[in-house]
Amino acid sequence: MKLSRSWLQDYVDLAGISDDDISRAITWVGFEVEQVIRTGAPSFNNVVVGHILTRDKHPNADKLSVCTVDVGPAHGGVRTIVCGAPNCDVGNRVPVALPGAVLPGDFVIKEAKVRGQPSSGMMCSAKELTLAEDAAGLLLLSGAPEIGAPINSVLPAGDVVFDIEITPNRPDALSHLGIARELAAWFKRELRYPAFNFTPAAISANPRPDLLTSVRVLADTDCPLYTATVVTGVKVGPSPDWMQQRLSAVGLRPINNVVDIGNYVMLEYGQPVHAFDAAKLANGEIIVRHATEGEKITTLDKKERTLSADMLVIADAQKPVVIAGIMGSADSGVSADTLDLVLEVAFFKRQSVRATGKRLGLGSDSSYRYERGVDVHSLDEAAHRFIDLILAHAGGAVAGPIHRVGSTIPWEREITVTPGYINEKLGFEIPAAEMRAALESLELVVTSEEPTEKRGPAWTFSIPSWRDDLDRPIDLVEEVVRLYGTEKIPTSVITAPGLVGNDDPIVLFNRKVADAFVGQGFNECVNYTLRPGPEIAAWTTPAHVESLALANPFVEDQSHLRPTLVSGLLESLKLNQSRGVTASRFFETGRVFLERNGQLSECVAAAFILAEDTGERSWRPREAADFYTAKRHAETIAALAGIELGRQPTALVDAPAHGWQTGHAATAGDIKHGWTATFGLVDLAHLKALGITGKVYAGFFAIVSEKVTADAERRSYKPFSLQPAALRDLAVVVPATTSASEVQKAIAKHARVAAGAAFALESVDIFDVYTGKGVPEGQQSLAYALTFRAPDRTLTDDEVNAAFTKVQADLTAAGYQIRK
Amino acid sequence: MQDQLAALLAKAAVELPAVATRPDFEAAKARFVGPNGELTALMKQMGSVPKEQKPVVGKLVNEAKSALQAHLDAALSRLEAGELAARLGPAVDPTLPSPDRSPGTYHPLTLVREEMTRILRKVGFTVVEGPEVETEYYCFDALNTPADHPARDAQDTFYLPESARFGNVSKKSAHEKYLLRTHTSSVQIRTMLKGQPPIRIVSPGRVYRRDTTDATHSANFHQLECLYVDKNVTVRDLKALLDYIFASLLGKDTKTRFRPHYFGYTEPSFEVDLSATHLPKVKKPWIEIGGCGMVDPIVFKDVGYDPEVWSGYAFGMGLERLAMLLYGIDDIRYFYQNDARFLRQFA
Repeated sequence: MKLSRSWLQDYVDLAGISDDDISRAITWVGFEVEQVIRTGAPSFNNVVVGHILTRDKHPNADKLSVCTVDVGPAHGGVRTIVCGAPNCDVGNRVPVALPGAVLPGDFVIKEAKVRGQPSSGMMCSAKELTLAEDAAGLLLLSGAPEIGAPINSVLPAGDVVFDIEITPNRPDALSHLGIARELAAWFKRELRYPAFNFTPAAISANPRPDLLTSVRVLADTDCPLYTATVVTGVKVGPSPDWMQQRLSAVGLRPINNVVDIGNYVMLEYGQPVHAFDAAKLANGEIIVRHATEGEKITTLDKKERTLSADMLVIADAQKPVVIAGIMGSADSGVSADTLDLVLEVAFFKRQSVRATGKRLGLGSDSSYRYERGVDVHSLDEAAHRFIDLILAHAGGAVAGPIHRVGSTIPWEREITVTPGYINEKLGFEIPAAEMRAALESLELVVTSEEPTEKRGPAWTFSIPSWRDDLDRPIDLVEEVVRLYGTEKIPTSVITAPGLVGNDDPIVLFNRKVADAFVGQGFNECVNYTLRPGPEIAAWTTPAHVESLALANPFVEDQSHLRPTLVSGLLESLKLNQSRGVTASRFFETGRVFLERNGQLSECVAAAFILAEDTGERSWRPREAADFYTAKRHAETIAALAGIELGRQPTALVDAPAHGWQTGHAATAGDIKHGWTATFGLVDLAHLKALGITGKVYAGFFAIVSEKVTADAERRSYKPFSLQPAALRDLAVVVPATTSASEVQKAIAKHARVAAGAAFALESVDIFDVYTGKGVPEGQQSLAYALTFRAPDRTLTDDEVNAAFTKVQADLTAAGYQIRK
Repeated sequence: MQDQLAALLAKAAVELPAVATRPDFEAAKARFVGPNGELTALMKQMGSVPKEQKPVVGKLVNEAKSALQAHLDAALSRLEAGELAARLGPAVDPTLPSPDRSPGTYHPLTLVREEMTRILRKVGFTVVEGPEVETEYYCFDALNTPADHPARDAQDTFYLPESARFGNVSKKSAHEKYLLRTHTSSVQIRTMLKGQPPIRIVSPGRVYRRDTTDATHSANFHQLECLYVDKNVTVRDLKALLDYIFASLLGKDTKTRFRPHYFGYTEPSFEVDLSATHLPKVKKPWIEIGGCGMVDPIVFKDVGYDPEVWSGYAFGMGLERLAMLLYGIDDIRYFYQNDARFLRQFA
């Protein structure tokens, strides 16, 4: 909202307070100043009208003149001033900045010597006074203004406009009076309300019930109070200059006196008002009603609007003429030949105005105020002011009767508070008298005062009707502290009584994943949670994609919650590739949304991608990543969530639509049971479609958020043998489709049996996978190292050999072919 | 005998330094000191030495034996040194870059979040998490946001369709809609409903606004919010927290100031300004950094805390904004593009 300084001045004396101080005051009482705009001349000190008496060439500079200037006896009479302007001719009256003046830009004028000549002040151009962007010479003052007069008295009056943001709890501040009240409280000055002239007794002796035959309110829930006053014989024309200037300054275009006065009253009191041309009201009727479904109105902005049945309108006998509280129709307004007016001042419920405005996509200064809430109890004052200004600046006379439909809504609110309570909440002391004065300056009135034992007087304040936001003692704490000055809240050392708490396990998990992957040379990424539908379709089922869609996406490419982090990482990779930036390892942690038992579950997730280096040439190439690199990284993530991936059943990913390359990606776990992991090669066709060059390996781990647990269970120590180990190697030939883990389990089982109770199998580790010469087509040879050890002695060759022979015999019996 | 010994030593002194390989060395060793070697042969002549000369000759033989061994040892060390040297290549060029991948990097948002939580951890705040999909109750109602408040509009908040079902995001009532949280304040409510005061938490996390993406707006961004609930918590305590946070982050002489403001869930409410002299690219003396206030009694009532007993404060700020100020980043979109040239600047 824009506020004019000169307008505010009507209600609070701001003399001697700089614009910056006003701006700061507005900030400190709680409203953000977005912009301060100056119009006309700023206010100057020590700049006066001077009269040039003589002009001589400067002895030492071609372009300078030495003048004598009369600035009036009050300012030292005749002064010598060096001037560089071409038009410092004798007889001219010009602005003179005397020593001590501060011109815009903090330019301080002092007694000085210019090229050896003393100069006692400066003659000014329009630019130097910020009256113009540019100036060729001195500002010549026409009309022979009085010598020595302060310059502001001869310059056009300037104004300062503060563009401020009003918080939603303070609809009372959406007016000049409202902000003037705050400034009066801040600067401890008096608030002056406009004086009223019109008295009901002055109603014309010539009542004109014909002009307004009836006012009916058929929707009193949405319109609890409606007033209408007839003014006859007005003369529509331009409004007074000062009013036009003020309205223009705050961004409203002057139209005519009637419209301008309506706007003026709204910006003065915060109460929207409306003036009808009485002649345009069919049958002289006003009906406040809900629209009929499909009813049409062409609003002031020349657009036809279709109304629905819950929208409130002001109608005449035939048609809606105003969408209540929002905008009037194009053809019912006041025009140059309007003679008689109906002045409407009404209260519409905020919910009604808001819903209608929102549905129609239509807003105005009026609806903005109704939506936030106007003070119904100030309605009569605004109406009174409206009539006064119309009579004063459009002429005419009030013709009876004044219509008032609805009842006055009662207002009574009191809050009791003690200085002790306020100080307790603040944690520092403000003197009781200062508190009381602050609240009283906001027109809160002490209605009673009771002493209390420890907390000082218990004041009961009656709350003014426009401060509906003040409802509890704590609300008065805020009023006190903001008028005390929040800048003065003292600083102190933080006291932190220890609370025994741990960081959330999810936080710990994310932190550990980040540490692990940064340690492995990955760049951490942050991608948007909202993804386009087609992108995530590559990673899950169509039904899941559908369930992830937002009800009201803002843009098409951010329409769905993400079910994976991999698609975002691929997007990051693509961006880097397309920008020619070499980077191949990315990871991310964050939330994903997976399907679980027929519902969505918010899951904690981590993912990584490893791209084949493309474009990066190295003077010494390193081994490339493969499926097993991805597997190791996936195991790392799972381990940080307390899951030993190596021990989990792992199978190839079989659904080719899911982003992963058939036969080269594997999955373990199931989100049904709380977690899932997938890792391996990203589908090559998918990469190609994305425009990504080279192979990409990836891994993705997700766990239902409530299953993320803190640190793993504390392990207990198991003793280990200090005796030497006995090693035996064993190779079996199996079909190429047989999994290595299956063979390993079989060997381990038989070896454990063979070692029996006498000693132990310590480990079985695969060390070779071979196909080719010596192994039949379609078969593979898997070689394992078996480690045996006894807890208490060195094993003898004989007992190990016996066991090893038994292992081989048992495996053969189980159908495995031992490779000799 | 003495001459023979001397001749043998002279021969060893010539031959052993010339030995170039292990087999040659083994052959030479056998030739000199092996069972069929020359020294052994000489020692076998000891029997024929007259008895009175035996001590003298014996001493000579022993000396010769030691001398021979010394030659052998020297030859062996020389061979071993040569072998080790052969395992090395030529000297490296220490100025060549390592061909291994460059170190990984933390995202700047992670760095800022971790720095803030570290600072807060020191004064007793623990980090909590909450769901990003929320319900109207936790995101709005419990935070004293009226039903017709503009922030709740489908214009400003992302909603999920009525058909959406979440297994692990609890609803307060069956009819409320799921939405994407617009602030991390919802975590305050979940935390307060779950436990009893005193509470001292910080909840960093991702939030969503239905905004046009531009240099300062993003469909999702991150906030960090502190909540402290205890007996006798005051505005002064809140100011002390803010002073502590920003002095820790930016240096001792960093100052904060409060400007009165309005938030539905705090009373009184303030916006927090930071003295900006330590920040790159900020020309103003003060810059807005977040919002704060004393928890509104309505919020306490709603979660079942007695507002007569408990008091508290809350403070929230945007992490992207903080990171932009700290690092001098001028476009929020850079955080989400993940250009490696951007990511590598903050590690």
